[in-house]
Amino acid sequence: MTDARPESADRTPTSNPVLRRALAWGGVLAAVVLVVSGILGFVFAGTEGLVSALIGTLMAVVFMGITAASILLANRFASSDVFVGVFFGIVLGGWLLKFIVFIVLVVVLRDAPWLNPTVLFLSLVAGVIASLVVDVLVVAKSRIPYVSDVRLPKAPTDD
Amino acid sequence: MDATTVLAEINGNIATVGYGLAAIGPAIGVGIVVGKTIEGVARQPELAGRLQVLMWIGIAFTEALAFIGIATYFIFV
Repeated sequence: MTDARPESADRTPTSNPVLRRALAWGGVLAAVVLVVSGILGFVFAGTEGLVSALIGTLMAVVFMGITAASILLANRFASSDVFVGVFFGIVLGGWLLKFIVFIVLVVVLRDAPWLNPTVLFLSLVAGVIASLVVDVLVVAKSRIPYVSDVRLPKAPTDD
Repeated sequence: MDATTVLAEINGNIATVGYGLAAIGPAIGVGIVVGKTIEGVARQPELAGRLQVLMWIGIAFTEALAFIGIATYFIFV
């Protein structure tokens, strides 16, 4: 099978800037949610609530961010011949691994005496929703050229 | 052994079934999202960048429910 695109073309998908922006804004909003949930947790459940709120928000933001990070990582192999396989291997493998780690964390943290499970759950839900809001806003404001992955060959020149 | 006796033998927390459901639902959802993305990229490879972003936002929404569903383990006794 012949490849229509010239060999020297940069095949990095155009989604990279959007994903990077989403990760950056996700980090900013995570800091805001961390402060708010930390204060609320401390007011309602003392030091236990503060620690629970911080852990819950961090879990939500980190685990939601892993998808974008895995796509960014996988896009580094864009020029590889087996890109499709590597891409979905990394993205879906990362997804599976993330959920295994999440379930193990939930089981381990549930009976920890230094945590307040209710505050942890609520701050986790808040972190997940905040992360979704950031994702939607970034995608809604993003501009991705329609066919930018195509590089046209240079015009022929007279030697 | 009649049905009532069999049912009475089942013990444990019924919420456990919910964690299984919280895993099945998003697994099917992400499977559909990724499968359709592969289909789209196979039809129009030059759209890979756009489709990746759409796939990512689809996965984010699908997995959000999984996180919340599994995290209910914290509040269900």
